[in-house]
Amino acid sequence: MFCFDTLSTVFIFLILLGAIPNLFYSMGYLPHVERKTHYLVHYFGFVFSMIGVVISANALVFLFFWEIMSLSSWQLILTQAEDKSTIKAANFYFFMTHFGFIFLLMFFLIVTNGNLELGFKEMKSITSMFEYPTLLFFFLSLGFLSKAGVVPLHVWLPYAHPAAPSPVSALMSGVMLKVAIYGLFRFLFDVLYPWPLEWGMLILTLGSISSLVGVLYALSEHDIKALLANHSIENIGIILIGFGMGMIFDTLGLKTLSSFAFIAALFHSFNHMSFKSLLFMGAGSVLHQTGTKNIEKYGGLIKSMPVTALTFLLASISISALPPSNGFLSEWMIFQSMLSSSHIGDISLKLTIPFAVFSLAMTSGLAIACFVKAYGITFLGLHRSTNAKHAHEVNLLMKMGMILMSLVVISLMLFTPFYIGWFDKVMVSFSRGSIYQEIFPSIWNMHSLGTVGGVVSPLILLFALMGITLLLMFAYKVSNKKIRYHNTWSCGYKTSAKTQYSATGFAGPIRRFFSWLYRPEVHFEKQIMAGHESKFDASHYEVHVKPLFEQFLYKNLTKLANTISYWIYRLAHFEKTRYSAMIFNLLLVVLFSYRVFINAFSWATFLLEFIVMMISVKILIVGDKK
Amino acid sequence: MIWYVLTLLILILIAPLLSSFIKVVKMILLFKKPISIFQGYWDFSKLMQKETLISHEASSLTTYAPFLVLSPLLVVMLFLPPAIQGSFYVNFVDAFTITGLISLSTFFLMLLGLDSGSSFGGMGSSREAFISALVEPAMILTIFSVSMMADNLSIAQAGLNLAHHFPKEHMASFLFAGISFFILLLAENGRIPIDNPETHLELTMVHEAMILDISGVYLAIIESASSIKLVIFSSLFVSLFLPFGLEYSPLIALCIFVTKLFLVAIFVALLEVNMAKLRLFKVPNLLGVSIVFAFLSLITFYVLGV
Repeated sequence: MFCFDTLSTVFIFLILLGAIPNLFYSMGYLPHVERKTHYLVHYFGFVFSMIGVVISANALVFLFFWEIMSLSSWQLILTQAEDKSTIKAANFYFFMTHFGFIFLLMFFLIVTNGNLELGFKEMKSITSMFEYPTLLFFFLSLGFLSKAGVVPLHVWLPYAHPAAPSPVSALMSGVMLKVAIYGLFRFLFDVLYPWPLEWGMLILTLGSISSLVGVLYALSEHDIKALLANHSIENIGIILIGFGMGMIFDTLGLKTLSSFAFIAALFHSFNHMSFKSLLFMGAGSVLHQTGTKNIEKYGGLIKSMPVTALTFLLASISISALPPSNGFLSEWMIFQSMLSSSHIGDISLKLTIPFAVFSLAMTSGLAIACFVKAYGITFLGLHRSTNAKHAHEVNLLMKMGMILMSLVVISLMLFTPFYIGWFDKVMVSFSRGSIYQEIFPSIWNMHSLGTVGGVVSPLILLFALMGITLLLMFAYKVSNKKIRYHNTWSCGYKTSAKTQYSATGFAGPIRRFFSWLYRPEVHFEKQIMAGHESKFDASHYEVHVKPLFEQFLYKNLTKLANTISYWIYRLAHFEKTRYSAMIFNLLLVVLFSYRVFINAFSWATFLLEFIVMMISVKILIVGDKK
Repeated sequence: MIWYVLTLLILILIAPLLSSFIKVVKMILLFKKPISIFQGYWDFSKLMQKETLISHEASSLTTYAPFLVLSPLLVVMLFLPPAIQGSFYVNFVDAFTITGLISLSTFFLMLLGLDSGSSFGGMGSSREAFISALVEPAMILTIFSVSMMADNLSIAQAGLNLAHHFPKEHMASFLFAGISFFILLLAENGRIPIDNPETHLELTMVHEAMILDISGVYLAIIESASSIKLVIFSSLFVSLFLPFGLEYSPLIALCIFVTKLFLVAIFVALLEVNMAKLRLFKVPNLLGVSIVFAFLSLITFYVLGV
């Protein structure tokens, strides 16, 4: 019923690392929650069900905990259901998570032959008999990737995460998404093992697209928590790039490179858990103090909230993949595994990998821009609203949560060899050779495994950077320069909150360059004074970025479904002759396809049936031209 | 080891010289009376003597960020390819680390721009963020391709390998990568088609706008950071794309290396005189060219085979 193999243990550890600092933060946050019992019951239910998912050993238990996890997080979103948008977000989340659940259920029903109490290990023999493994792969990916938030199934994230209370968003984004990644690891390795090349390519493509789409939408976001939610889409994309590379290498027989890529994906899962939780906690503290999620209303918070500002800075450096942070190390590993694609023999495949390299590099460049925006607008500059002016540091428990989480971030940076060694054991448990010795010949240097492989040395880099910075600062201190605080020149205007750059303005050039994706709607409102348009006064500039996928894919799908159902409704209720004609046509199609399947058809009958069908379609369904 | 330290010192010392050298060449070409070639040092010493003026609006970040802008670049200096055959070099650092460290420096520079709350700083940061986001993919693809040709990802080792065994059969991809890298050199250092280092005009500033509120020692630090960045990029260009003359005796090899740096500077100055600054929204086109060349370089390399 339960199993504690290496993969499960690794993910239990991930959940605990995410949950324990979160618990402190949550306790600090609790006085502001109205329905305390409701919150606590579901909070603990959520954490335990996540652990339950990763230790379950048969399908029934897995699905049970999976469902508890979904439902408790759904209830947690509804903890502070004051406005309509929260309820709408919760409904959306409920729908999306059960959309995935259906596919998981179908997957399990097929691979267990209907006996859901079958263990994961026994599923493999049933799967190998099944004729269409790609169907199983699609069920699996729809099930898990809708939970992980991969494009185009990512639309619930930017709604659900901001609506939840901050500790819950940290848990959902940091930990719950990783449980979906756990599912991919578990079932792709244990159940569907020999993968065709196309699966790896699909995962790689999805990952590349998600990473770009996530970061681009994050850039245009003003809601700080939605911004972070979009970054989760990006980071899940990065994890999937590593995962997809691993699958591709595995199919091509390059086992060590494949293990390296999988280890990179696991390491990035850990790193994303750490810095994203920390970012959500920081955002939660800011939100808690200022009472608004709008990033344009913050500013200058570094002066009143130093602990939050410092931890947020650490997490920002890490998520932007800047050395020597842990985010850099895992992204470095993923880059290296993509560069090892020069070992692939197939030239057409070799030529496609650089496009994934391009998208990952672009993503990391844009992520830097996005976090300069998030950090700079939130914490630096002048207060943009009175709320920001009256903000002060959060309570001790919340601070403790943030500090503990930043310790997790730092530990991932300092003890990289330890973590990598552990992830290597996971790969060994999937009956592969250990590659720890090749990655870390000594604890100072981390090697990649390609023949032209690179080396990075996290600790040396950290010490060199810190050493030189401290030396410079020491030299400055010793020189004992006079410091004067005064006004600096500000273009002839008085520096005020209104003249400084806004988040909208900061992302302006990028928004303009990617306007084909964003399709921004710009609203200008100018004050009319004495019948004339004034030039600047109270002019109001706002940009709304349409979420493209939601707008086009989802809305149009709904529209299509509505049109079809209305048409059928009309036929069935008002136009009986046409309805019967449709049934007649359907019958013909069924007969025809039946004969195609048993290979007993001739072109003459096909032609005859086709003509009969066309006539009835023309006369009975389309009808006369009005 | 002694030559390694000596090269390092010389490179750091000539950094302000190289920047003012470009300025001098430009002024000569424009028939102006040139400034002294040592102007960079004079500016530096003058700034070092001044008091530090910090804006009322600025936070504690302003007091730390300038050091964090300079120190990653100094760390990068340690990892550059050797100028002399047989001298010590750090052989375990690859190109991602170097681009990462440069991004780290830019990250703090952009935060510094936003710190004082002036609209100029924000404008500069916003533009810099835009440009450096587009530089990143081109940079990584170019380096990917060069390291394939040099058969090593470690940047110092790649420089040596290219000097030992120049891949003549991959001349086409080498050339493409060279063009791409030169565009990146211009973009990262804020040279003319992308940013004009000389004007203080609202419409054109990128780098200068970010540091408008910085003064005194902090300004000296940031200015030396930008001249060191120029040295880093030009010496990377020199050791990866003009890899010859390493095998002579150390003193001559070092002279050749420095001469090549000044040649790159002359080339930059020539380009600056002959080109107009691009509008900000035309910059992506130039960087797009660089990305396309990087792709082309990689593709020709793969198609021609190892």
